[in-house]
Amino acid sequence: MKYTFALIVALFTTLSALAQQLDFGDRTSATITSKAWGALNAKNYPDAAAYAQECVKMYEKQAVEMQKQLKEPVPNTDKEAVSKLWALNDVGTCLFIMGQALEKLEKKPEALAAYKKLVETLPFAQCWDPQGWFWKPADGAKGRVKALEFDSLK
Amino acid sequence: MMKSILPTRGLALVAMVCSAVLVVSSAAASEVKVGKNDQGHFVLLRDGAPYFIRGAGGSSHLALLKEHGGNSIRTWGIETLELPVEGKRVIDRCAELGITVAAGIYVGHERHGFDYSDPAQINRQREAVRAAVRKYKDHPALLVWGLGNEMEGPTSDGRDPRIWKELNELAAIVKAEDPHHPVMTVIAGAAPTKVQGILAHYPNIDILGVNAYSGGGGAAAAVKAAGWRKPFVLSEFGPSGHWEVPKTPWGAPIEPASRDKAAAYYSTQKTMTEEAADISLGSYCFVWGQKQETTSTWYGMFLKTGEKLPQVDAMCRAWTDQWPKNRCPRVSRFASELKEAVFAPGQLSTVRAEATDPDGDELKWEWTVTAESTDLKVGGDQESEPPSFPDAIVLAEKNQVVIRTPAKPGNYRVFAIVRDGKGGASAENLCFRIEAKPLPPQ
Repeated sequence: MKYTFALIVALFTTLSALAQQLDFGDRTSATITSKAWGALNAKNYPDAAAYAQECVKMYEKQAVEMQKQLKEPVPNTDKEAVSKLWALNDVGTCLFIMGQALEKLEKKPEALAAYKKLVETLPFAQCWDPQGWFWKPADGAKGRVKALEFDSLK
Repeated sequence: MMKSILPTRGLALVAMVCSAVLVVSSAAASEVKVGKNDQGHFVLLRDGAPYFIRGAGGSSHLALLKEHGGNSIRTWGIETLELPVEGKRVIDRCAELGITVAAGIYVGHERHGFDYSDPAQINRQREAVRAAVRKYKDHPALLVWGLGNEMEGPTSDGRDPRIWKELNELAAIVKAEDPHHPVMTVIAGAAPTKVQGILAHYPNIDILGVNAYSGGGGAAAAVKAAGWRKPFVLSEFGPSGHWEVPKTPWGAPIEPASRDKAAAYYSTQKTMTEEAADISLGSYCFVWGQKQETTSTWYGMFLKTGEKLPQVDAMCRAWTDQWPKNRCPRVSRFASELKEAVFAPGQLSTVRAEATDPDGDELKWEWTVTAESTDLKVGGDQESEPPSFPDAIVLAEKNQVVIRTPAKPGNYRVFAIVRDGKGGASAENLCFRIEAKPLPPQ
């Protein structure tokens, strides 16, 4: 746990420096998350990680509060109810994006730390897929945790 | 070869009594049923004992499956059980090794011309199913019946009830002929409409099998969310499918690296086991063998020349928490300016790879340039191998190769295979394109 925390702190420092050069628009979680997805899809992994980090930094407290209010995930068929948990959903999604970007940047321990943080602290976050459904970033992160742990086995 | 197999369950007792003199006592037919454990989780009970499927789809390399911790195979057509493998029929070799079989019975696909509105075709299929069950129902290796594979079509939404209703009739035939082995039907992906179609029209099903690749670890959760409350098997899983990965600008799917593939197998198996303990009876990784599907190495866990790939080691680790005695080489780098690039004909380019062997074995490299496959099918239908271009290899020196790009414009791949000389290998490939007038670099 201490190691994970140290990695997150080190990562936060690096990405914060990069974040100073980025345009966060209206600084809402939705805008920043959208920019993080855009950078990830454009294979601009440093920017994707930095956008995601900024969203986590700004809205993590609210996200954790929303998570604490839930005993189980909101049914993904209730789009309105899911969408009310905006901070939980965006911060959870950004931790997933951060993990993806850091993997591409060959920062596997840091990626693992981001995924684990998502699984442990925001398991009920949901993300809208433009194909028409919500999915849970924490479910994707669980698989990546297992895959990264396997890859690091000697 | 089947003479040792006792024809009826009643005779099993005779075999047990005679076990001192008959080395074939294990040949008694098994009784398999679905039950629940004291936690309320579904379990497969084989002769009364809990049985978790550590399976692989395929019918070759059976001794190696056993050695790596697997305990079951899945086949797709009943004729596979008769194929020769390691000196015996598949089903007898399985029995000999203590491997069970999810015996696939082919159920017609509309894309192959089967018409679910044609009574004559339906009757012929029913009789074929009945004959298959009669032939193998008492074989000791039989675990479950795999009644149909993706017969609804991989791109179908599953809303057409005719197939589900017919499967219900076929399952009734299976159960009438053999009440001692559950019926599993396998669908492509965990789309809620398919699950709901089965729930509405196919009550005779015992086990739902789902083939799922990048979403394999979450397939059980997906079927539960769609209302499924019976047992589940992850009936095919593996690397991200060729329909699920990024593509080159010219549309060639980019095959995951060997390390990523191995990690995907491990991750899916572990996630499925941990997350779906309440309904999961186990899984079958795909494919324990070799097949051409998009490329010659995408889904196969073995090379055509017989060496195992790192996916096999990953499954061993997932099944047993141990590495096998001999491990495959591990590729750490595979790079070239050719990678996902457009080149003119006749240019020279270098591809470099780096690999280590966990056991310290000496590594040998093989390099090939092939055309991008154009014989692409859906649902795993048989594809032909694209041509290769040996003249494109100008200089191959261990882990490095110089390639002269082919003269003919088109899409190509460079394959690198590294072997440890002891039955282990790794395979990588990259895509490139030849244009008479290449696009300027972006």
